Amino acid sequence: MANSTKDPALRAGERLVELDVRTQDVEINMGPQHPATHGVLRVLLRADGEILTGAQSHLGYLHRCAEKIGEKVDWLQYLPYTDRYDYLSAMNNNLAYSLAVEKLLGVEAPERAQFIRVILAELNRIASHLVAVGTYGMDIGAFTPFFYALRERELLLDIFEKICGARLTYSYIRPGGLMNDAPAGWLEQVKAFTELFDKKWGEYWDLLVDSKIFVERTANVGVVSEELALAWGCSGPMLRGSGVDWDLRRDAPHLVYDRLDFEVIVGRGYRGTVGDCFDRNYVRMYEMVQSNRMIRQCLEQIEDGEVQHPDVGLLLRPAPGEAYVGIENPRGELGHYLVSDGSKIARRLRVRGPSFCNLAVAEHLLPGCMLADAAAIIGSVDIVIGETDR
Amino acid sequence: MSAALPPAAAAPQGNGLTELLGGLLPDGLPFWALALTGAVVSFAIIFAFIAVLAMFATWLERKVAGHIQVRYGPMRTGAWHGWAQALADGVKLLIKEDLVLTSADKPLFKLAPMVVLSTALAAFVALPFGPNAIVADLDLGIYFIIAISSITTFGVIMAGWGSNNKWSLYGAMREAAQVASYEIPLGLSLMMPVMYFGSLSLNHAGAMQSGWYGMHWYVFSDAFWIAIPSFALFFTAALAETKRAPFDLPESESELVAGFHTEYSGIRFAFFFMEEYAAMYLMSAVGTALWFGAWNFPGLSLLEGTVLHAPLAVAAFVTKSLLLVFVMMWVRWTVPRIRIDQVMALGYKYLTPLCLLMILLAASWEWVKAIAFGA
Amino acid sequence: MATLQEPAAPASDRSYWGNVWHAVKSTAVGMGITFRYLWTKPFTTQYPDERLPVDGRYRGIHYLEQDLCIYCQACAKACPVDCIDMGAQRHGKELEWEFFSIDYQKCMFCELCVYPCPKDCIHMGEQYSLVTEDKSDFLLELTSWQGLTEEQKLRIAEAEAAKAAKKAAAAKAKAAKEAAEAAAEPAEPEEGKE
Repeated sequence: MANSTKDPALRAGERLVELDVRTQDVEINMGPQHPATHGVLRVLLRADGEILTGAQSHLGYLHRCAEKIGEKVDWLQYLPYTDRYDYLSAMNNNLAYSLAVEKLLGVEAPERAQFIRVILAELNRIASHLVAVGTYGMDIGAFTPFFYALRERELLLDIFEKICGARLTYSYIRPGGLMNDAPAGWLEQVKAFTELFDKKWGEYWDLLVDSKIFVERTANVGVVSEELALAWGCSGPMLRGSGVDWDLRRDAPHLVYDRLDFEVIVGRGYRGTVGDCFDRNYVRMYEMVQSNRMIRQCLEQIEDGEVQHPDVGLLLRPAPGEAYVGIENPRGELGHYLVSDGSKIARRLRVRGPSFCNLAVAEHLLPGCMLADAAAIIGSVDIVIGETDR
Repeated sequence: MSAALPPAAAAPQGNGLTELLGGLLPDGLPFWALALTGAVVSFAIIFAFIAVLAMFATWLERKVAGHIQVRYGPMRTGAWHGWAQALADGVKLLIKEDLVLTSADKPLFKLAPMVVLSTALAAFVALPFGPNAIVADLDLGIYFIIAISSITTFGVIMAGWGSNNKWSLYGAMREAAQVASYEIPLGLSLMMPVMYFGSLSLNHAGAMQSGWYGMHWYVFSDAFWIAIPSFALFFTAALAETKRAPFDLPESESELVAGFHTEYSGIRFAFFFMEEYAAMYLMSAVGTALWFGAWNFPGLSLLEGTVLHAPLAVAAFVTKSLLLVFVMMWVRWTVPRIRIDQVMALGYKYLTPLCLLMILLAASWEWVKAIAFGA
Repeated sequence: MATLQEPAAPASDRSYWGNVWHAVKSTAVGMGITFRYLWTKPFTTQYPDERLPVDGRYRGIHYLEQDLCIYCQACAKACPVDCIDMGAQRHGKELEWEFFSIDYQKCMFCELCVYPCPKDCIHMGEQYSLVTEDKSDFLLELTSWQGLTEEQKLRIAEAEAAKAAKKAAAAKAKAAKEAAEAAAEPAEPEEGKE
């Protein structure tokens, strides 16, 4: 890591090279319109040739006042807004919000609804990780795996379309249960997908993850140590990639996760150091397999029944109080902190977004890396700007 | 160390075009007039060839990329599988406004595409399309091609500097570092066939590989166990030399936006584009000429002396070269991009030593052959 | 090679020949995969010419069963972005529609307007491509008629006629009653007088 913080001259990007020539580092704007920043993130980089000496991310280009809107609309009316922070995993966002509202209301969804929620959350996790792995390949320079990943994601979107009518912003999981029951034939379609996915998964591994160039570009790059990950409040694959065995699905059981048998994937330096870019991607790859396994178990255990709690209607008036529920989003812990004053509108609504916290550590990783690694590191964090900016 | 000449005909002498022109033009013309006419005619032929090639190759690249990525690629322009897409793009680039930034270094900015394209054109001079179908049959043909095609780098650096854009400058610097270091393995990897043929002339190499079954191709020769790895080394170095993925660092779009040609548009951008495809074809053609029997294919020697011989030979050469171009595209759409320090490591730590090892093996093999069979 | 089971031990062979072998092998495997897909049928469709069918639950542009709608505004109140606007005049039971519009620049197709409807008359349709050159085209009018239909006019006329008839009948009955009362009332004192 470059010693960019001690000497004030160095901090300003000036350095003295041989023959008393004073040089200055070049400052470059990566973004807000740049192919590798996944949206409108702007990272101000300072570089000494190809080596980065400083980095600063600038957020807010996609700020839409989501939390403030939450204090202006009904409890249920806020549901479509949750779709829009992390638009790649809208089902998980719906679930996080619904669980928080349910905690305020003091109700629990019926069992069938819980199983369908887990199936949807895990399917959405696969869809989100497919985009993460695919676009990560694109950041590294491989275009084709992205299209293969999106091909399977398209099948998932068909599944989502069949159950709720939307392909990206679902608003399907709502406080008290689900909007409506799964249509006939839907569970069979999910089963067919899980079988197909196990076959296709190997393609991404062979084509992208096991490629020598990919390994060289990601192994030992952007190493987040366990202490660093914990200190910066990382979560999700970013934290597990650093070797911390922490998964809210197992450690803070909600829904029916305690009835499912699954492993928590932890990075262990498969091609380099624990906590490098390869490990974060490795965690995502194997999490898809585990999610697939969970879905299969849910399909075996699901039974007929109601999908909506009878006491929870369209207009909610939770008793005064506050609640925080965090769940394992594909990108990490997505938490909602809600305060109710007993009216039909939230008194305070706060979102703890995983990408926002995970991105913070990138600034710490970039100095000392090469310019090309900036794309690799920011890609491995797997940010969705909609959620960092909200 | 002279290689044992295969029983095929010795290298034909002279230049087809010069002979043809000499026959057509009236006697008594001064030398310079003959030379000028030859230059103009050969320029026209090569430029037309590159223009058509670039159009076909862009279409092919899009189709290959599309079908590899389980999609169609261009389908609308033209009736059949979007065949006119490249034509439409060419027209669009021609009539587009020629933008030059006010902050650009204008002479360099304007000169860069010309330098880039003209060096690519110049390299085609020493390339044989068929027996004697060559503009100038240089004794140092391979040397000339390697030398002239590396001048492209100057054009790229001029473009990167002249654009007054930091991303462009990064692309240019990467190109300079990359091409300078890959000249070495590229040149060294060409030494194996050169030693085998005992000549630096591509025309000579092509002539030496002719024969009934095509068994005189370098890859099918007694030294095939040297030819195949050396071709792999050559191909890797050629990918780096032509800035193709996984070595497309000068224009790596996910890091440097578009690299050295970020600020170019219209016809100037088209020049860079044509240069890329011309360089791809050139490297593929050199590979074909040295490893895959140039214009020869099984049965061609039976047609010797007939009208069909020359067109078929040219067709065979172009087809084989395009197959190698296809392999370049196929590689591009398969592998990720290397980082600049890894490019250097690959060039200096892997390709160069391996090339030297292959040279040692090739030289030893010639020596063993000389002792065993007494050439 | 890819296995669905996590590999037992980390594979970090970084020796010189190990690197060469891994590079050659992984590139060959990758090229094998891409070459196989070069010859398979593309997964995509040629969109505007060829459209995939959407599912029955698809959330596209709304449609309104106008004859069922009772102008209760429940959907407009449920909408998080206030994109539904409607206007009507009540003529007794009949509604004279002025407009029922949805601004699709705002609408986010969340389907929250569908659930509160007491008459189940607003639905999400299957139309999806909102492509236009003019922003004002996004303000879609969902009513199939404005004002009063002939049937409604007839019904109103009938209702008015019935009302008038009823009124007349009531007036008549009242008049008869009054007359009867008037007839009866003076009779009593007459009787008393006698």
